[in-house]
Amino acid sequence: MTQIPSWTAVAVSVLLVLVAVAIASWQRLGISREIVVAAVRALVQLVAIGAVLAWLFAHAGIAGALAWIFAMTFVAANESRRRGRGIPRAYAAALVGIVVGTASTLGVLVLGGVISTEPQVLIPIGGMVVSGAMQASSLTLTSLRRSAVENRSAIEAALSLGLPAPQAFAREMRTAVRTALVPTVDSTRVVGLISLPGTMTGLIIAGVDPLQAIRYQIIVMYMLLAAWAVSALVTARAAQGSLFDDAQRLVPIAA
Amino acid sequence: MDRPELFTLDDASLVIDGRRILDHVDEHLHDGVATAIAGPSGSGKSTLLRLLNRLAEPTSGRVLFRGTDVRDLDVLELRRRAVLVPQRATPLTEDVAAEVRVAAPHLTDADVRSLLTRVALDPDEVLGRTPSSLSGGELQRLCLARALAVGPEVLLLDEPTSALDPRSADAVDAVIRSLVASGLAVVLVSHDVARAGRVADDVRVLHEGRVTARGAAGSLDLEHELMSPPADGHVHDTDDPRAHGTAHLPHGHLDSTRTTDTPEQP
Repeated sequence: MTQIPSWTAVAVSVLLVLVAVAIASWQRLGISREIVVAAVRALVQLVAIGAVLAWLFAHAGIAGALAWIFAMTFVAANESRRRGRGIPRAYAAALVGIVVGTASTLGVLVLGGVISTEPQVLIPIGGMVVSGAMQASSLTLTSLRRSAVENRSAIEAALSLGLPAPQAFAREMRTAVRTALVPTVDSTRVVGLISLPGTMTGLIIAGVDPLQAIRYQIIVMYMLLAAWAVSALVTARAAQGSLFDDAQRLVPIAA
Repeated sequence: MDRPELFTLDDASLVIDGRRILDHVDEHLHDGVATAIAGPSGSGKSTLLRLLNRLAEPTSGRVLFRGTDVRDLDVLELRRRAVLVPQRATPLTEDVAAEVRVAAPHLTDADVRSLLTRVALDPDEVLGRTPSSLSGGELQRLCLARALAVGPEVLLLDEPTSALDPRSADAVDAVIRSLVASGLAVVLVSHDVARAGRVADDVRVLHEGRVTARGAAGSLDLEHELMSPPADGHVHDTDDPRAHGTAHLPHGHLDSTRTTDTPEQP
């Protein structure tokens, strides 16, 4: 293992915050105060999460780790639902998408013996999966909402031909899921070329051989593809159920 | 009228956000004819059409299709028997033949050609093209073919010609007449009373959510009825709560010829 920075080193790094503040005040950007607040927040939040994680790793066990991940899905769904404002029961759609996307992806990784089940592996990996699932869910809801408003006349034209809602809404569903998958497909395609992603960066800094570090990164990229895809699809299906009523009508979408 | 009843509106009202869009409508629409619902924009005529295929639901009252409450019918079956063609001709596919098959995937090529011919489109000319490359009138007729492909008993047409130039509109009207002549019932909504009178057998005039006149097309006072606001003392103010509920006038009264002559341009 390479040497991990001491608290003294962290204190020295505060100089870098001062550099940013100096530039902001010299150029009169009016955000000096915000920079300081952000830097302090980052410090407090990271110390807190570090302490929580240290405790979890020591005491949580598999069950505690899974409970932690499950709790994160609720926070993620709450974030996601704002993108689906106007879609009835958007929170439930986001939650079921994120939970199913996370559970299926982690399930394959754990049951396939790909990752170990210690909390210090499960929790960070689970966090990445939940975060990916959340972004997929948000993009899906954004797209569905827009389609339901902009394509209402086409959707109603299809419904008026006696087509059931899933058929009348099929194009919008495909668009939503495809749109949600674009970012992760793009980042998977260029991984390593444009940026060195977090997992391998962390491992390399910690002293792991790059050829070993990339194995972890490959697994992470593939797991995110699955998490995004499952979450986007399940969120879209759940939202579709809320967008149409029992009489196969597109419900009004509140602004 | 001894033709069988197709649709019955039984004291149907629709209120959205406190606004009364349809106000105690009692109507009988008959099979085998074209009935026009005419009225200025905002009179509730498109909403009335949407009640017929359950795209909208009355707040109170009932809608019957051939004597059965539409809520007791399978909604998809209702919409295949009573196909609504929306005001904006919206293509759902990228290909003319696919457009005709959109809700009738098992149609043969011959079926598709015959449907196109039925709406006065030349199959040799339009097949292979994208619907969006057609002219407005052609696209509207393609939408009619797409609706006919389902095999409906009645077509519900929302302003079928309002977006078209007069010549294209005449072509669409001619197609509608030929469909009615072949036995298909049509209910169409129009703000253009002259055109509605030419294409329909029967006309209802709608004002602020109420039927204010009804009669055979071509009756002389029809245009007058549409162009006039409701007669003095019959004015229905949607903002006036007293105008709702029990205060509305009996139908016989509403049917009578009115004499006000203030023209209202739609």
